[in-house]
Formats: sequence, structure tokens, C-alpha cells
Amino acid sequence: MRFVRIILWRLLAGVGVLWAAASITFVAMNVTGGDTAIAILGGPEALPTAEIVAQVRAEYGLDQPLPVQYARYIGRLATGDLGESYRLRVPVAGAIAEQAGATVRLALAAGALALLIAVVVASLTAGRETPARAAVSGAELVLTAMPTFVLGLLLLFLLSFQLRLLPVAGEGGAALVLPVGTLALPLAATMAQVLRQELDAILEQPFILAARTRGLGEAAVRYGHALRHALVPLVTLFGHMFGFLLGGAIITETLFARQGIGRLMADATAATDIPMVVGITLLVAASYVIVNLVVDLLTAAIDPRGATA
Amino acid sequence: MSWRALLPIALALAACGGAGEGGRGGDASDPLPRVAAGQPVTYPSRDYVERAPGRPGGTLRVVAARDNGTLDAQLLADTNTKWLGRTTFDNLVYLDERGRPTPWLARSWTVSPDGRTYTFTLREDVTFSDGERFDAAAVKANLDRIRDPATRTAMTTAYIAPYATGRVVAPFVFEARLSEPYAPFLDVLAQSWFGMVSPRQIREAPGTIATRPIGTGPFTVERYVRNQVLTLAKRRDYHWAPDVIRHSGPAYLDRIEIATVPEGLARYTALASGERDFTTDAPAANAAAIRADPGLVLRSRINLGNPLRGISFNVEKPPFDDVRVRQALARAVDREGLARSAGLGEYIPTTGFLSASTRYYDAAATRDLGYDPAAAARLLDAAGWTGRAADGIRTRNGRRLEATVLTTDASPLGFVVIGLQADFRRIGVDLRLEPIPLAQFAQHRTANDYQATGAGYWHTNTPDGLYIVYHGQQINRGGYTGQNITRLDDPRLNALLAAARRGGDEATLARLYAQAQRRLAELVPAIPVLENSTLVAYRREVHGLVFDTSHNTPLFTTVWLEGPGA
Repeated sequence: MRFVRIILWRLLAGVGVLWAAASITFVAMNVTGGDTAIAILGGPEALPTAEIVAQVRAEYGLDQPLPVQYARYIGRLATGDLGESYRLRVPVAGAIAEQAGATVRLALAAGALALLIAVVVASLTAGRETPARAAVSGAELVLTAMPTFVLGLLLLFLLSFQLRLLPVAGEGGAALVLPVGTLALPLAATMAQVLRQELDAILEQPFILAARTRGLGEAAVRYGHALRHALVPLVTLFGHMFGFLLGGAIITETLFARQGIGRLMADATAATDIPMVVGITLLVAASYVIVNLVVDLLTAAIDPRGATA
Repeated sequence: MSWRALLPIALALAACGGAGEGGRGGDASDPLPRVAAGQPVTYPSRDYVERAPGRPGGTLRVVAARDNGTLDAQLLADTNTKWLGRTTFDNLVYLDERGRPTPWLARSWTVSPDGRTYTFTLREDVTFSDGERFDAAAVKANLDRIRDPATRTAMTTAYIAPYATGRVVAPFVFEARLSEPYAPFLDVLAQSWFGMVSPRQIREAPGTIATRPIGTGPFTVERYVRNQVLTLAKRRDYHWAPDVIRHSGPAYLDRIEIATVPEGLARYTALASGERDFTTDAPAANAAAIRADPGLVLRSRINLGNPLRGISFNVEKPPFDDVRVRQALARAVDREGLARSAGLGEYIPTTGFLSASTRYYDAAATRDLGYDPAAAARLLDAAGWTGRAADGIRTRNGRRLEATVLTTDASPLGFVVIGLQADFRRIGVDLRLEPIPLAQFAQHRTANDYQATGAGYWHTNTPDGLYIVYHGQQINRGGYTGQNITRLDDPRLNALLAAARRGGDEATLARLYAQAQRRLAELVPAIPVLENSTLVAYRREVHGLVFDTSHNTPLFTTVWLEGPGA
């Protein structure tokens, strides 16, 4: 029952989030967007004839009052029609579908790698005052503070340019290493910091002492008992870091010449490709809703304390 | 995917990192451009013709800076199309190295005495890659598609706006009727944006032109993954390259594989490591390293059309409604310093309103716009800006000599405006930069709400580019969207540019365009600062590169690889 309630409530809120995202985007694009007809025709680089501009205004209903345009816009979106990209002249849904796989692969690989690094590093260094811990903490601090594009350029310069270990572009697995690393390292650093703090606290708890007195080995204590309890804040954090992954994808996809949603978004924004911007915004908003739903369900599953609430 | 999926990636590392083999002979890098404004630039004719037959075979791995998102050349105004369009499409005409139209898919043509009827006699042995015959009906289908407002082209319709009707006179004779004499018509038809698309595709599936264009070009699209890779395959029965380049038969390369890498350092790395053979967009920041690398070749060509303008004034708004202020600012710009700091010696300063490689460019016309801060100061004094504020900015009747220049936040040319800002301050003019989104930029333009705009340029292959950028008819007015952002509406200049557009013999056109360039030097609606250069770089194993006469961008029909298949 409890899970069903969480799901229903979240889905309802999700519809609200999508409506808000669509409306804000509409307002933002109309306040700052300039002449939509010119944007449709390719922006300031275009030299359209007066006839073509008139054609576009009529075709897109740009000669209608804004409230009418808004109603049509929301109505169209409500039926699931994302429209046609101004710049690419193809259906937005199709263009997104074509690029989404690459971003999902990148984000999943980066998320998984970050989780792995964070768990290993935090478990090994928690509850110990060693020089290794100090070094790792320092590295984490640097990685969390460093902008994604700086880290990406550094890795590119070091691994591709200096050492010639990795290709700068391509479709093979090797071409995935740099973008995944660029996305994963800052994420891993943040997650390791949180996880270690949590583990530090848990390792002081009486039940850990009890486990040790029962004769359990260090590894069993750390990975078997402490880690499970430390995972709750990590899962919540992961929900928040999802936004970082998407924002980072825009930069890494451009830097490492990968196809994907981030690159599509960057191009669409530069060209005022409103339908594409709206489509990607809605997709991102929807993924947020879903990720947070999953996080809530996971938290509830890991931490049974709220079961009777 | 789990973390285990990363293991094969780590293992694959061992397989990477192999660099290409060192080659001997071949092209040498172009010398660093001489840093001197106002010199006419000519390129050797060997740049435009095939010198010796090449070796067929192999795949050229190209890295480009951007992906247009669509391969439909007729719809877009994108500069990428200049070289990309030439791979899959052919045009009716091709320019010779002096900018004169010569035969391509049209074997010959006549122009009626009133300049309104063009009759093209076409080649009879050309086919589209879907088997359709190239004939007069195909030409009509293409021009009508571009002309139709419903096609919503960004630029090509405006370029052939005088084209009224087309008529199939005979299977291979096409007649274009214009509403007014329009001499640049042939030049325009040679531009890459006017490549011929299969009439069947236009008729049955115009939406697929974006991803699978069907042309008569030397290559066909084999695979296109947007923002990732574009693979072109040789068309084996191709034998209609333009006469000018003196190439017979199909292209030499079996394949061209184009990856899109926006980051300059990454493109350079891909080239230097041998991961890629050729880049259509060599980063100026790495040009010196490319020149120093014995395995690499750097080529630099000035684009045709209008050069890079540092600033375009709105001549209707103070303080730029005073021509003396505009003249003063033009003389305050240290273009050579700008070329050095911005392009590390790879950029070429200019005072010209046409680029130096464009037909009828007159180097003498704008010689007086060169760097002369003393003359600039005298002009500002004469304009009454004789007072000085505490911070050294000139004043007149208590008003500061200041202005805001709009720049787009996305512009890679922002550095130019920053350079101008420093130069202007030195003669007591305060220029403020206002970076805004591209779309807002268009809004300011439509509303005539700006004092000046930052860096801009207009690529074309004809001196008629002056009409597009400076003629009074091209001002945004009453719903019309034009490219004359300076809002200059000078009757004398208008008359000269309109007369040149109506046409005449070479001597007449040379005189008209020279007078127009001199008039522009007096009026200074904008400050040209640098030539727009195409920097391409490639590995020494690449041979036979020819530059396209319309755009000075690479033409891949004649390119071949040493040791193909290696």
C-alpha cells in the first residue's frame, strides 16, 4: 500500500512538474527568444525573403495572440506531440530517441563507475587516520571543485595528446573512457566524501563493536554491516547527482565529440530551436521525477524504519 | 551496463595509440601569411587544378568542427556546407580561378540582351545516384523547390529571388526567366548551397534529403549518425567533375569518414596522433605546432565574400550617425596587432569591404582606412569631441563619447570586439560590450534598437555580397529581414551596387565595384578587420588537395592517399 501511495503521489506531482517546465520554457523563450520566425529560419545568419517569413508566421501561428499560442502549445504537448525541430526539420521525438541511447550509456557507465570508486575508496579509508586517507580526501576536494570542462580538457591533454593512450573521438569502447572518466570522477569524489563521513559515524556505533566482539573480521564488519547502513544517504545523494550527470553530459559530449542529448541540447539552445529545447526539457524533467521516485522506493526498501508510517 | 562492461574498454586500450607511418614528399605547409593590410591576395592556379593523376583507393578519415544536423544544403545557411555540399552534389556552373562562371553540369549558356533570360544547355551523360536522369526537368525541380516559400530555405531563396519561372525547352535545354536583370545569378548557382538534388527525392521524399541526400556528386552518403559520423562512399560511375579542375573519372578515395569534434585541441590531437588524416577546421591556436610537425601540412586560404567586420555601426544612431566618428574609429584599429594576438600570425589583417580573394576586390579603395591614431584623433576633434572626462574619455557638450556594442554570447569572434574596445579607449572612446543570446540579437535588429553590433561576416562567392550587406534595400524594415545591419542607405552607393547587379562587361563591373568600395571607404558603415581564413591541416600521406573556387574550401574529388588501405 505504502509503495502504491508513493508512486501515485509522485506521478501526480510529476505531471505538475512537466506542466511547470513546459510553461516556464514557453515564457522564457518568448521573453528572451526574439523573433521566432527568424529563429525557425536559421537565426541571424539567415536571409529569408519576406514571403518566407510570412509563410512561417502563418504556418506556426505566430501571428496569433500569446495566450492562444500558449493554449495550442500546451494542447499539442498534452497529446504527446513534441512537434518538429526548427533547425533539423525532423520530429523532435525522433531526434531525441536517436540521441538518447548514447547519453543513457554514458550516464549509466559514469554512475556505475562513480559508485564503484566511491564504495571502494570510502570503505578502505573510513575510520582510519592514515596518510592515504589524507591524500584521498585532498584529491576528492580538488575533483569536486574542478569544473567539468577543465577536468575533461586535462584528461584529454594528458591521456590523448601527451600519452596517446586514447582516441579523441570514435564509436568504440576506447572512446567512451575519457567522457565516462570525466563525468565519473567528480561524482565519485562527492559520493566518497559523503559515504566516508557516514561510515566514520557508523563504525563508532555500538552494533559495530558488538559485531567485532562476536569475532567478525574487518572486511565483514565494513562491507557486511557498516556499508549497508551508509547506503541510505548515498542513494538520496545519487538522486541529486542525476542533475550533475545531465549537466555534465552537455559538456562532455561536446568536448569528446559524442552524440547525445547534451550535445543536442547545446546545439538547440544556440540555435533557439524551441521545440527541441522544450522536448529535451520535458524529457529531463520526466527523468527527474522517475529517478526521485526510484530513490524514494529504494530508500524505503533499504531503510525499513518508516515501514509503519 | 554494469562496471563489468568497462573491462573490455580497459583491455581495448592496448589496441589503440598506433600512429600513422611517416610519408615522404607531398605538399608543404603554406608560409605564414604576410602581416600587411591592403595587399591583393592571389593564389597559384595549381591550388585549383589537379596537377597529376592520383592513386585510387583508401579511406580518408576527416575531422570537422561541427555537424550541420542536416545534409540538405539548399535549406541551410551553414558555412559547413561550403565543402560538405561538394561531396554529394554538383552544380550547374563552377567558377574559374578568377571568379568567372565556367561549365559544370551546364555545358554552356546564353543570356538574353535584356539580362532576364538565361538558357542553359546541359550535359547529357549525368545521372543522380538513384538512377534518375539529370536533365532540364531536374534543374526546374530544384530551382522551383528553392523558390517555393513553403520550402522555407534560410538563404537560397533570397539568392535567386529574381528567378520567376523555369521552362523545359528541350530535354537538356533549360530556360530561367528572371523578373529583373540579375548578373550574380550564375555566381550564385555555383555556390555549394545550390547543389542539384534528385527530382524523384524532391517529389517523393523531400524529408529524407536531410539524412540521405541523393545528388550527382562524386560521393554518396553511406551512413550518417547525427553528431557522430558521416561516411561517404565513392560513386564509381562519376565522370563529370568541373572542367576547371582538370580531373577525369571518379574520385580517388573509396571512402570519406567524417567525425565531428567541436574542441580544437581534440581535433589537433586526432590529427597529430594519426587517428585522423585531415581536418577541415584546423585550430589557429595549434597552427604553429602543425607547421612544426614534419608529418603534417597546414594550408590557409582566404574565404570569398565579405571579410570579418570587427564592428558594424548603426549609422542611424548617435554617436555613429556622424561619419567622422566612424572614420576615426576605423583608423584607430591596430589590425596587425589584432591579427597577431588573436590568430597567432595565422590571420590576415584587411581594410577591405570585399575579401581579397573575391572578384573585383580593389585593394587601393580602402588603403586610407589603415591604422593612424593621430588621424583618428584629428577626426574626432573636428567632430567636436574635444573635451575630456576624468577617465580620459572624450566629451562634447558634457556628453561622453561612448556606445554599446551587441555581441552574441555564442560568437567565437568575441575576441575581435575586445581588441577593438582597447584600441578605441586609446583615442578616448568608451565602447561597452553587451553579450546577448543569438535570438535576442535578432530582436534588437528587427526593432532597430542598437548602436552597433560586434563581429560579423557574410560568405558568398560574388562581389554582390556588398549589395546584401550594405544596400539600402537590405535594411530590416516593415517586416523585411535583410542583412544590412548598418542601416546605411546611401543613394550613390545604392545606385552603384544596383547597376553592378544589373550587369555589364568585365570592365564595367570592375569600375562599378571599385567605385562602390571607394564609397564604402568614405562612409565606413563597418570596420573590416581580418580576412576570414579557412585553415585546413592534413597528414603528409594525403595528396592532391584542390581548393574550391567558390569558397576556397577543400574539394575532395581529387584527394588521394599514399599507400591506400594501409
